[in-house]
Amino acid sequence: MTVCTVEMPSYTFAVKAERLLRSRGYNCKVVRKERSANGSCGYMLHIYGHCREAAEILDKNAVPYKKFYDDGGA
Amino acid sequence: MINFDNAATTFPKPLSVRQAVAAAMKKYGGNAGRGGHVLAMRTSEALYSARETVASFFGAEPENVIFTMNCTHALNMAIQGVMNGGGHLIISGMEHNSSARPAAAMALKRKIRLSIAEVYPEDERTTESFRSLIRDDTKAIVCTLASNVTGQILPYREIAELCRERGICFIADGAQACGVLDVKMSDGINILCTAGHKGLYGITGTGLLVTDGKFSIAPIIQGGTGSNSLSLLQPDILPDSLESGTPNIIGAVSVKAGIDFVKKNGIRHIFSHEDRLCRLFMAEVNDNVRIYRDKAADYVPIVAFNIGDIPSERAAAYLAEKGFCLRAGYHCAALAHASLGTKGGIVRFAPSVFSTQQDVLRLTEVINNMK
Repeated sequence: MTVCTVEMPSYTFAVKAERLLRSRGYNCKVVRKERSANGSCGYMLHIYGHCREAAEILDKNAVPYKKFYDDGGA
Repeated sequence: MINFDNAATTFPKPLSVRQAVAAAMKKYGGNAGRGGHVLAMRTSEALYSARETVASFFGAEPENVIFTMNCTHALNMAIQGVMNGGGHLIISGMEHNSSARPAAAMALKRKIRLSIAEVYPEDERTTESFRSLIRDDTKAIVCTLASNVTGQILPYREIAELCRERGICFIADGAQACGVLDVKMSDGINILCTAGHKGLYGITGTGLLVTDGKFSIAPIIQGGTGSNSLSLLQPDILPDSLESGTPNIIGAVSVKAGIDFVKKNGIRHIFSHEDRLCRLFMAEVNDNVRIYRDKAADYVPIVAFNIGDIPSERAAAYLAEKGFCLRAGYHCAALAHASLGTKGGIVRFAPSVFSTQQDVLRLTEVINNMK
């Protein structure tokens, strides 16, 4: 199983994404991690599942995100 | 003490709200959306949960729910934020000063052009009154869903339809309607502004701005949002763009508990209970009492009245001596009183879900003995 990290634009959208993905069976969690200085709120979403599919779900539901990392957010 | 001033703020608050506030004081001691430690994350989660409850109650997306200090704050944000670039604004002649004053201030500074639509007992005439004022440059209509003075319900769905047909932003003041009417964004409302502490039974210092996101709202307050911290520019995503500074987290938790209380009791049940008390009040007072209601109009559970030629403030002071809390005077609604032609204001009877028939009968007995 892939682990990826999504950089979110705000805490609100981080939780919205978390709830949405959980409702689709994805195990995920909101974590605080400063990664990018540009446009981040400091909240990331760890997703334990297929990143491309997760991104598609977020896109389809108009949940904005900043960037996907396929490395587990290390 | 018997409180019939629930249109100002409901009291008492439900036990579940008081318990939620007490628990929040113990549990949610962090700042929301700012930090990753246990307290901050727990508090952020509580705020989001409150946002979800409000969103579901009104039929909106959670990120489109903005917590404000009160309804006045929300209306100022909406009016100034939407009319930021100028244009023509229409407000109703029943607006509270929370809409009328920011609108008038912008018009006096020549930032916008302002028209005031007369309100009639008949919905068709009121709708026509709005329709006749719409111009090519009309950008927004602000209308209260129900008057805070008389309780008259305005034809907001019809006015919303006028707006939808012409691409005009419909800003609704739901302060007296939310909690007793089943207000939904799908009624055609683009921006709903309401209090958290009235019919939604939250604590004072709470208000809501709920948007459908179709119209841009320029922030009137800028600052820390917990997001995009290195930029000097205010974020442009909701709710951050309109929620600068530490939010009233305890207040938001209280609004969530209040909405849960309203849902549990049922809006229809709450309305019919309070409406029954209003009808009892009107039936029991004697002919010396003038009631400001018209058969052609519908009302939320509020009754505006005067007792003979006794000035409203004096009548309310006398009732206060007898243990009854009722608001007299002009109710921060200059336009509404001008429309009604009251002299010296009115006394307002506003029950809540906790008011009883016995309390109403005690009040009417005292009123009927006043000279």
